[in-house]
Amino acid sequence: MSATAQAENHDAVVLSATGIYKNFGPNEVLHGVDLDLRAGEVHALLGENGAGKSTFVKILSGYEAPSNGQLLMDGAVCRWTSEEAEDAGVILIHQEFNLAEQMTVEESIFLGREIKKGLFLNKGEMQRLSAEYLEALDCKASPLARIHDLPISDKQMVEIAKATSRNARVLILDEPTAVLTGKETEVLFKLIDRLKAQGVAIVYISHKLEEIERIADKITILRDGTWVGSYPAKDLSKDDMARLMVGRELNDLYPRINPPADTAPIAMSITDFSSPGKFEGASFELREGEVLGFAGLVGAGRTALMEAIVGLDSQSSGSLTLYGKVVEFKGLDEARNHGVAYLTKDRKEKGLLQSLGMCPNFSLFSLHKFSNLLIDGRKEKDAFHAAIETFDIRAGDLSVNVGSLSGGNQQKLLLAKVMEVAPKVVIIDEPTRGIDVGTKSQIYHFIAELAASGHSIILLSSEMTEIIGLSHRVAVMCAGRLTAVLKGDEIEEHEIMRYATGLKGNAVNE
Amino acid sequence: MSSVTSQLDQKLGLKLDLKTVGPFLALIALFVLGILVNQAFLSTGNLTNILTRSSFIGIIAVGATFVITAGGIDLSVGSMAAFISGCMIVIMNTLAATMEPGIMIVLAGVLASIILGTAAGFVNGFLTTKGKIEAFIVTLGTMGIYRSLVTYVADGGTLSLNRATRDVYRPVYYDDFLGIPFPVLVFLVVAVLGYIILNRTVFGRHCFAIGSNENVARYSAVHVDRVKTLTYIVQGLCVSIATIIYVPRLGSASAQTGTLWELEAIAAVIIGGTVLKGGYGRIWGTVVGALILTMIGNILNLTDSISNYLNGTVQGVIIVVAVFLQRGSWRLSKKKK
Amino acid sequence: MNFKRKAIAAAVGIMMAFPSAAALADKFKIGVSIPTATHGWTGGVNFHAKETKARLEKVYPDLEIILVTAADPTAQANDLEDLVSIHAIDALVILPTDGGPLTDPIRRVKESGALVTVVDRALTDNTIHDVYVAGNNPELGAVSAKYIKKALGGKGNIVILRGLPIVIDEERFDAFMDGIKDTDIKVLDHKHANWNRDDGFTVMQDFLARFPKIDAVWAQDDDIALGVIEAVKQAGREDELFIVGGAGMKDIIKRVMDGDRLTPVDVLYPPSMISTAMEVTALKAVTGAPIKGEYIVGSPLITKENAKDYYFPNSPF
Repeated sequence: MSATAQAENHDAVVLSATGIYKNFGPNEVLHGVDLDLRAGEVHALLGENGAGKSTFVKILSGYEAPSNGQLLMDGAVCRWTSEEAEDAGVILIHQEFNLAEQMTVEESIFLGREIKKGLFLNKGEMQRLSAEYLEALDCKASPLARIHDLPISDKQMVEIAKATSRNARVLILDEPTAVLTGKETEVLFKLIDRLKAQGVAIVYISHKLEEIERIADKITILRDGTWVGSYPAKDLSKDDMARLMVGRELNDLYPRINPPADTAPIAMSITDFSSPGKFEGASFELREGEVLGFAGLVGAGRTALMEAIVGLDSQSSGSLTLYGKVVEFKGLDEARNHGVAYLTKDRKEKGLLQSLGMCPNFSLFSLHKFSNLLIDGRKEKDAFHAAIETFDIRAGDLSVNVGSLSGGNQQKLLLAKVMEVAPKVVIIDEPTRGIDVGTKSQIYHFIAELAASGHSIILLSSEMTEIIGLSHRVAVMCAGRLTAVLKGDEIEEHEIMRYATGLKGNAVNE
Repeated sequence: MSSVTSQLDQKLGLKLDLKTVGPFLALIALFVLGILVNQAFLSTGNLTNILTRSSFIGIIAVGATFVITAGGIDLSVGSMAAFISGCMIVIMNTLAATMEPGIMIVLAGVLASIILGTAAGFVNGFLTTKGKIEAFIVTLGTMGIYRSLVTYVADGGTLSLNRATRDVYRPVYYDDFLGIPFPVLVFLVVAVLGYIILNRTVFGRHCFAIGSNENVARYSAVHVDRVKTLTYIVQGLCVSIATIIYVPRLGSASAQTGTLWELEAIAAVIIGGTVLKGGYGRIWGTVVGALILTMIGNILNLTDSISNYLNGTVQGVIIVVAVFLQRGSWRLSKKKK
Repeated sequence: MNFKRKAIAAAVGIMMAFPSAAALADKFKIGVSIPTATHGWTGGVNFHAKETKARLEKVYPDLEIILVTAADPTAQANDLEDLVSIHAIDALVILPTDGGPLTDPIRRVKESGALVTVVDRALTDNTIHDVYVAGNNPELGAVSAKYIKKALGGKGNIVILRGLPIVIDEERFDAFMDGIKDTDIKVLDHKHANWNRDDGFTVMQDFLARFPKIDAVWAQDDDIALGVIEAVKQAGREDELFIVGGAGMKDIIKRVMDGDRLTPVDVLYPPSMISTAMEVTALKAVTGAPIKGEYIVGSPLITKENAKDYYFPNSPF
């Protein structure tokens, strides 16, 4: 039996999995995974991308059938469909949300188990209950709002509200905080505490080790589909977790990046950038070889500002100087041709064509390089293969659709795609969202190399440690205004938070 | 691990093969059916007829492949063909009243056709992109407009090209080069050009990208509106080329000309393996699709064992089976394991 | 529908004899509802309806004619409601897009007190109309059969291109088959060409590929005939066969007039029957003459000799 058996045992096992195997065709992705879930316990599932966490929780929740092995619910063997699992109270909240974009919040929450009054839907009751569920989550979304119109964090909350409305006994959260701000994460943790107290067993998947350390009672680690072990959380340090996941010692997560020399030229300077309703009066400078972090809460206008800089916002105004020359980008292609590139944080919807192969994705942004009248297929392929090497993109078959790549490989491909135009200024928005520790470290090292070779980098991230670990200076935005540009010792979590939440600082101009 | 990947490769290869050759299998099956139904099917004359006939729909469908690959749809092509044919005839007849009949008049007609096709395509594209109206609605609208305009121009009847001009123009449809009828040659050239443009140029690649995900395309510095408008212009040009070889066939245009061509063109595109919601397209598949559609009609005319009233049923069944052959291949390949 | 009264000429004559209609105080309103011009023949109907409207309104100042066109039975039924409720018509002349579904809507017009003249396509209830003006479909088939029988000397191979699969086509076809019943004429095959040139062309191409020897083609419609002519020319088989169309399209009549070998004759089925119907209805309106009954327009054979009587170069059809 698993190591959990020896762990302290104050509650009954709700759901247990023994010796779970899973094959996709000839490809075995899980090689005997064990897990015991106890009521009122948060059980973290850790592993690099592709370790089999998502497949395993899909088996737990009935979306996939195991090829071998057994699931026991309250001691009884079960082979269930996702509907049956849900009825039994085992609910999975997907990493990619499962919401119908055109439905309202209320309709989504009650989808499939609508409350009826006679033949008709009891809209009033469902709206009232939806409002209640959302209230409990501290979520301000209206039950009447369309999913499509909600920010990504609210979509997450709707998913969780949907689960809580179903009297979950086992709640599986697959990277719930990837899209949440710090404040929203706090709300989620409070909610998890409450659910724990009610005796719900929680499976928690996340790459953020701090979170695991904070909320997990037990940790199970998977590596390449193999069960590494289950441990009481208090016995593992973050380093232990990382080591067990990767199976080797990690280098320092954040590489040292030398600050630019005082004589380094100003690569880009932004003066008084505004866009109605999104941000206003933003001004800052970026030196060659510098990493300028951008911190702020979701909705502070960081992404909107960057999109405006590269010419994706036709409503914006302000002046932009590149190496001393005033330029204006009317479109992304002009920014690209001037050596300014932007990596979106939304890989799936804005970054990569999920239904096409890797090569056309790789060359889409730099296609002009490979084409006179016709595309030079050989040249394109050569560049692609070179990029696969450079960026260490690992895909068994180079012809697969991008949608089937892991998040880490997608992120590397996105990086390769943008770097192919050889930009001088690179704006990177959330470079490590939903990516395992190993790949994260690779991307950090890559950013360091870029800076060392004279590129100028703007780094947007909602992971405070990432910003602090990599940036030379940190700009903070709050409600559409640039409230501070911190440097040296000022770069510290609480200080950043004070500016991000508006406790400190008004608009600053450099 | 490596043996797993190679096995995976094999599986993918098999899947890809079935998917790719699906339309070809349907074509071969139809071919065999044709021979079984009537020996006359194999005669040179009949085979030439099939090729020549499929050239109208085929050429239009090549244009439709661009529009559909880029995630659009054009329902107006049939009406557009009728309208352009009508205008060509009126223009050539008007010129014939003042000029000696001859090649100049025909060239003027051809030029008019190209201008009209480009303009009509631009209108569809502009309304879709800048007007931000769904392509389905825009082209449904223009479909009605062109259809009623041609009825108006023809005064409800038929526009006929005057005889002298017609004699000059007639060879464009009826003559051949090295035994290959001109319409077939034009079809071939359009298909080859279409293939090169869709698969080997930046514009073609951008069509795939936009059809696959417009937002990603926009964030990759693709001029989405411009490229989409261009696909409609390509479609308009293809319609114009089709009418240039259609008009000399019967020398006339009426409100009936080109009815349902839009559906046949779309069917040819889909049978050929292009994805209706965009993001993936292939020209040669479209060519095969057009041949399949024409061949069905031809085979039905060569037999009296199927009631005339059931023609639609036979066509419908064959279209669905042809598409199933390539879509169904997904499941087939899995089971083969 | 078997009544035959060749009274049109007489009726028109009477009408022309009473050009003034001073007795009418209010304007007398006639609604004319016809199908949209989607092919040659309906185009001809539209042309004649418009022309007759202008002519009649000029002759009778107290007469108002409201002309509406509809693409399908549903649209036409809507038109009928509008004609009654908005225009309050006193009489209706209708060429139904399809007799079956329009029977009830027309019955309601009748119940509103209006005079009803039905043209060409019969309703399923033939007690509704006051006047019925129609071409003679069986006669078109019979006349065609008679000519082909004679021209082939009672034996040979023929192919038939049919119209759309509706009653008109069945009537023509059945009468034709009846006409060649006891001869050695063999029908190689018959296919629908939908009264359409392009379809006529392709169907004939396939017939030509399939049958090495064809002596005659019954196309039964001039639009189809034009497509057939091109296919035959393309195959270079003009000397082998002849084509009999139908309706009386000016292009074909011109060919008949010119003595074209390929189209020696045509059989009339005139779109001008709408004019007859409108004239008869106007006459009733103006004179109050007790006009009732069925007027069947004949389908005479048009030959080189009489072709000029049927040639209207200004008509679109």
